[in-house]
Amino acid sequence: MFENFSWILFFLIFLLLLVLVFFPQYGLKDRWQRYKIANKRVLLEDALKYIFDQEQQGHTVGVDALSGKLKISSKSAFELIEQMTEQGLITTQKNHVHLSDDGERLALQIIRAHRLWERYLLDEARMPLDQVHDQAKRRQHGMTQKEIDELDASLGYPLSDPHGDPIPTAAGTFYPHEKGIQVNEWEEGVLGKIVHLEDEPAIAFAQIMAAGLKPGQLVRILEKNQKRVILTDGEQEFNLAPAVAANVYVLPLSKEEMVQRDAIPLSQLPTEMEAEIVRLDESCQGFTRRRFLDLGLTPGTKIYPELDNSFGDPRAYRVRGTLIALRSDQAEDIWVTPMQVTS
Amino acid sequence: MTTNKEITPQDILLKADALRPQLGSGFRDEIVQSMYAEAQRITDRAVQQDKKQKWDLDQRIDRLVTSPIFGLPIMLFILAAIFWLTIVGANVPSQLLATGLFWIEEQAANLFTSIGIPWWITGFLWHGVYRGLAWVISVMLPPMAIFFPIFTILEDLGYLPRVAFNLDWLFKKAGAHGKQALSMAMGFGCNAAGVISTRVIDSPRERLIAILTNNFVPCNGRFPTLIMLATVFVAASFPPAFASFVAAGSVLVVVLIGVFFTMLMSWILSRTVLKGEASAFTLELPPYRRPSIGRILYTSLIDRTIFVLWRAILTAAPAGALIWILGNILVQDVSLANHIASFLNPFGLLLGLDGVILLAYIIAIPANEIVVPTMMMVYMGVGMMTDPPSYNQLYTLLVDGYGWTMLTAVNLMLFSLLHNPCATTILTIYKETKSMRWAVLSVVITLGTAFLVTFLVASLVRLAGWV
Amino acid sequence: MTIHNTSGCEGCPMTAQLEQMGLKLDKFDRIVALAGNPNTGKSTLFNTLTGLNQHTGNWPGKTVTRAEGGYVFQNVRYKLIDLPGTYSLLSASQDEEVARNFILFGQPDCTVVVTDATALERNLNLVLQVLEITEKVVVAVNLMDEAKRKGIQVDTRSLARDLGVPAIPIIARNGEGVQTLLSTIASVISGEIATKPLRVKGSAQFQSAVNSLSEEIKKLFPGVPNARWLAIRLLDGDVRVKEAIQSGEINDLVNSQRRSDVQFSSRMAVEGRQ
Repeated sequence: MFENFSWILFFLIFLLLLVLVFFPQYGLKDRWQRYKIANKRVLLEDALKYIFDQEQQGHTVGVDALSGKLKISSKSAFELIEQMTEQGLITTQKNHVHLSDDGERLALQIIRAHRLWERYLLDEARMPLDQVHDQAKRRQHGMTQKEIDELDASLGYPLSDPHGDPIPTAAGTFYPHEKGIQVNEWEEGVLGKIVHLEDEPAIAFAQIMAAGLKPGQLVRILEKNQKRVILTDGEQEFNLAPAVAANVYVLPLSKEEMVQRDAIPLSQLPTEMEAEIVRLDESCQGFTRRRFLDLGLTPGTKIYPELDNSFGDPRAYRVRGTLIALRSDQAEDIWVTPMQVTS
Repeated sequence: MTTNKEITPQDILLKADALRPQLGSGFRDEIVQSMYAEAQRITDRAVQQDKKQKWDLDQRIDRLVTSPIFGLPIMLFILAAIFWLTIVGANVPSQLLATGLFWIEEQAANLFTSIGIPWWITGFLWHGVYRGLAWVISVMLPPMAIFFPIFTILEDLGYLPRVAFNLDWLFKKAGAHGKQALSMAMGFGCNAAGVISTRVIDSPRERLIAILTNNFVPCNGRFPTLIMLATVFVAASFPPAFASFVAAGSVLVVVLIGVFFTMLMSWILSRTVLKGEASAFTLELPPYRRPSIGRILYTSLIDRTIFVLWRAILTAAPAGALIWILGNILVQDVSLANHIASFLNPFGLLLGLDGVILLAYIIAIPANEIVVPTMMMVYMGVGMMTDPPSYNQLYTLLVDGYGWTMLTAVNLMLFSLLHNPCATTILTIYKETKSMRWAVLSVVITLGTAFLVTFLVASLVRLAGWV
Repeated sequence: MTIHNTSGCEGCPMTAQLEQMGLKLDKFDRIVALAGNPNTGKSTLFNTLTGLNQHTGNWPGKTVTRAEGGYVFQNVRYKLIDLPGTYSLLSASQDEEVARNFILFGQPDCTVVVTDATALERNLNLVLQVLEITEKVVVAVNLMDEAKRKGIQVDTRSLARDLGVPAIPIIARNGEGVQTLLSTIASVISGEIATKPLRVKGSAQFQSAVNSLSEEIKKLFPGVPNARWLAIRLLDGDVRVKEAIQSGEINDLVNSQRRSDVQFSSRMAVEGRQ
């Protein structure tokens, strides 16, 4: 009796396993197949992006470079090239591969997806800047044109990614954009605005992040020599190795920005001192920026820190007749100029 | 009209794409800025402000209730005062209601017996279903009828956003949103309502944290249990003049423990399953408004009290019936309820409780309000939910008759505070998150915490040899 | 018809011609939408008009779903829709989308924007946005008593002149001015009061971009009443508007949204009470 029972149990388990493996769509077999297909697509997209980047810099790409970059065997790299040629994405000349028009379009689409995801992850999902690159890489693959367009629209058509790189339009063009000057080429003592932080290599970018630099910041050079470049934003000093500093790009200030250069972040405004908002920080985008705008925190608005908190954070500000509490992290993104104290 | 054919939707979209870069990076900035500029112009023309009395009173109140020194004490004082008023005010009406309702039961049961209706119909109907209802009404109605109006006054006055303002630093440390304080405040009334009110939190991550931890705020269904235990066990050893203050104080302590666990769990969640940066925190502190009495009474009594009570009644009736059945089916001369209770007993003892209490909680999953009556029923073994005689008798009964100790009382309070949400709340969480996962997680988190904490407290107390 | 008048304003004059319909929504002649910033007393006005008891609390974001009720004024049956309180109609948050889509696609006969007299400047931002979408607008300047207490004087005539739509001072809590508000709504719907809503100019580039785009939209969809707003939304990045234009459905959408909204609302009317 009991033996019979255990046989039935075995049979049931066997049946269950069969179902687990072969169940349509949700079964392991189908999942594994989907995973393989997805993986192939990821590989192809990475290859296209790599070739595009190299061509932009005037380099050509061979099989070895491709297999090295994508960390696959030469054999796989050959297969990949074959497949891409078949699909009309690349043409091969001698040992080099070149993107066809279709290939370039697809590469641009992937770059667009990547940079939009970076924007999304930073602005909407509030992920730290040093993590968005990797996360975006995971999400950029296999998106349809329509999905990318929707993402673009929902973000309000941003022009550049969080590192300052331009985002291609749906038509595959770039808006006119100045990349800026590497900060070690910059004149000592002159105020400049950070317009771009190169996110590759990752080690250099991590150091820039650790130092606390961000796009939109106003900096000048304190000291520059073979060993190090020291920048300052007036408060803090940023100590960078020259090789790292080469990944920081700056531009001169516009006339408007010159006028506002004395602005301080709202978080540093003393309580009960009235001030005028001059701008919202460039790094503040997406949901936060929209919310600020909706609340009437627009340039030219008068703002007055009215209530302090027991623990310093948040503070409540009087804006356009209403009382609004902000945490110091938010108040840091609002630049103000203190007004003359009346009475 | 004649040139219609030449334009396609695609053209319009392309044109929009082409126009956009001409407007610079901030199209949104541009619209909002010009709207506000216009708004400012119009306001300047239409509004005149007397310079003399500029928000004077509001500002002074705000200074006080958010002041570094008085802000938190004022908040705690208000909370304690509400509890005290509820405890003191609900005591007598509760007793009167109980006496009245149970008198009706007795009369009705007698009537049924006298006209020859079988005992089990009488028992099931009057000592089961009706008694469950009577219990819930007499225990819950008076505290709610006092608590909700006071609470609604605070809400309409505009005090709650100040609480959120005062406590935000804590929430920030826990990786949560300051507006969670608002949903917690709503949770005092009913956790399901608290879960719904998390909609004011914009960020999905922080909203989920608020949803999953809302149950650590004791709702109105659980207050009677807390109040009873606080009165019977904690306050009993104090002179009667102070008893109500001590009871209110201990309820406050339990609530603060709940706040502590809310913060702890938020902190854990925001560093594990719900990782991410803090979202934008903007909280409007609206001007204080004079509440209108009629509306407050309506809102608190009809919308809230009756709503919560009705729900409790709906679950109490079948639970009462179930309790009666469990208590009256005898297996080997012992009721089914007692069988289950003794089965659960070892586990209960491990948590510093006992099997009867656990059984009561299992039966009370649909509505936490009926925990205490269920417990009493099994203890008395009379096969029906029983009203606790007076608080003094109750004390003697539990301590002498069933081996309760201070540990049992404290752990029962903790368990009542931390255990799983009621069925309605779980359902609401499922509806709000549209995901089974979060609903299940909310149960796992709370029940896990409850087991862990009561187990630790029990072990600690036993190790120290206090019991 | 039972009128449960619990709003604490027995004997106030507004009850003269107003009949509160509560949830009796099966038949109505006109749809009126209530928009406004959070905490401006929108729900209080809603309750005063319908006799319902939508909960009001003094913290922002209290009304999270759309509530509906009805009232009869001068023998015309109105359905009143209390939209979630929002600071703006531009963002993508859920409540703003509900409010925006209803005003744009639900095409109420009249939209009442409830404003707070003590913080008019910020409230006008929303008013101006609503004026971009529709011209059938009445501005209700609420909390006039609070304003008076704080020494704030609001000249509603100047306001109405600048905005190009009627602006009515009210105190929703005790019903003051509500009678005037109702008759103004009726006149705006009937066209007795012609509105000429203010459209924000913005910079020259903004103007030319919006104008040229809205011209195109008008050519493609001749019936669309608010091409200008669609152009603004398109430039700003509204996926829903984009899709509606792409598929050429914008005309159908106007109708179908209205239909589904009516269904949605009758469901909400039940669920809205929790």
